[in-house]
Amino acid sequence: MIFNQIFDAINIGLVILDRDLKVQKWNRWMEVHSGITEEKIIGSPIFETFPNLNNPKFQRSCKSVFSFGNFGFFSQKLHHYLFPFKSTSYFESTFEYMQQNCVMGPLRDENNFIQNLFIYIQDVTEVAVYEHKLVELNLKDGLTGIFNRRYFEVKLREEFGRCKRYGGELSLVMFDIDFFKKVNDGYGHQCGDFVLKSVSSRISSIIRNVDYLFRYGGEEFCCMLPETKFDGAMQAAERFRNAVMEMENNFNQAIIKITISLGVAGLNDEVGSAEVFIQKADEALYRAKREGRNRVMPMS
Amino acid sequence: MQEEKILSDEEIEILQEIMNISFGKSAADLADVIDTHVVLSVPFIKIMQVPDLPAYFKDHVKEYKTISIVEQKFWGRFKGDALLVFSSGAGRELIKMLQHETKTGFESDPIDILERETLMEVGNILIGACVGKLAELLKDVVTYTPPMVVVERDYSDAIAENRYDPDNTAIVLKTDFCFDEGDVSGFLFLITSNDSVSWMKEALRLFIEQYE
Repeated sequence: MIFNQIFDAINIGLVILDRDLKVQKWNRWMEVHSGITEEKIIGSPIFETFPNLNNPKFQRSCKSVFSFGNFGFFSQKLHHYLFPFKSTSYFESTFEYMQQNCVMGPLRDENNFIQNLFIYIQDVTEVAVYEHKLVELNLKDGLTGIFNRRYFEVKLREEFGRCKRYGGELSLVMFDIDFFKKVNDGYGHQCGDFVLKSVSSRISSIIRNVDYLFRYGGEEFCCMLPETKFDGAMQAAERFRNAVMEMENNFNQAIIKITISLGVAGLNDEVGSAEVFIQKADEALYRAKREGRNRVMPMS
Repeated sequence: MQEEKILSDEEIEILQEIMNISFGKSAADLADVIDTHVVLSVPFIKIMQVPDLPAYFKDHVKEYKTISIVEQKFWGRFKGDALLVFSSGAGRELIKMLQHETKTGFESDPIDILERETLMEVGNILIGACVGKLAELLKDVVTYTPPMVVVERDYSDAIAENRYDPDNTAIVLKTDFCFDEGDVSGFLFLITSNDSVSWMKEALRLFIEQYE
């Protein structure tokens, strides 16, 4: 009697299933979040109400609970949730469903025989949202919202290593806004920021899902193109140049036209390290600057 | 360290036998749960001082160079630490083995998350099977902490030097395992301390009594 009260008062979800995975107990927390009463679900197979659980990992976990008395762990990090419940917190925008940490384990009868298994469900949405924000802050540039220099270095090392080990193509496009100082001096730093944001969002909108755009520093950017040969990267760079040139940056009724200079490098046997790779793209970018700006130059 | 707390030769022999039986049972049930046969070697029991543990581990796993480790604590009257050490590349092999039937990962999850997940899942099942059967034969029921995983680390810095209580004596139960399918092998170390010894002595005595 007392235990039943605790069962319903506790702020976590508790479910008990029998060996046929039919629901034997469904506490009030589960009723509230699922909108399904215990009366309605009791005695029915869990897969009937939650077909998403009918997967090999969940089944393996149930089997190992019944065969070994094992525990099964479903962490939020790896699984996000077991039971798709609408999030009740104010953080709904980050996750569609409540983020859950779940644990499964055995329940024994007086002869030590495992008759049932329990699952408990903790709502960890709030923590997951904070973590998500922290990760984002760590990877992204605050002004433009694109990836930052730090992530560029991590990602480049990763992709570079992957290509060297397993083969594959990788290209870099480095670019820089021409006469950016004039924008800042002529229209103020707010306008400079506005231009940086506009360029970032314009380029972001024309790259593929698999490409990465980074703010390398000041007004310098870098786009990493995995599985892209040098020729393809040259074409992409040309597209970037045209897209920026055509932009009408309207800042306080003033139309600010800008251009960019670009340098392109493709991975080949001569490029021995990630540092050399960056250097190749950077050198090409400076040649584009020297030869009159608003142009794409290949690595030498 | 008290003399009478350490296991006698006879007790070690019984424990060895119990582990043989329990790991045999685990292997059979594991085949049912993860659809592949796992070969577990005859377990080896060693009693040593805790500060000697890291060197002992390293000596065993050094041929792998890089390793992945799944660690889980278990507690009942039989309690301790389970360390499952996988050979390098095991995560990817296991993904391949299990993938034909599973896709629990999300599309956007990078491979290393899937790798961690797979290692943890297989590690959790393997550890639970071995510890659970052993505890069962000794008439104990154990619970577990969630598994923790270290992926693809150089063997020499994967094992911390100073994490265990240096005043403790450790009973190390070691078995090697390999999967029938795929190129996956490794070691399972169960480390239990002084705290479990008196209970274990009694459990071993009771176990042997049923045959006398």
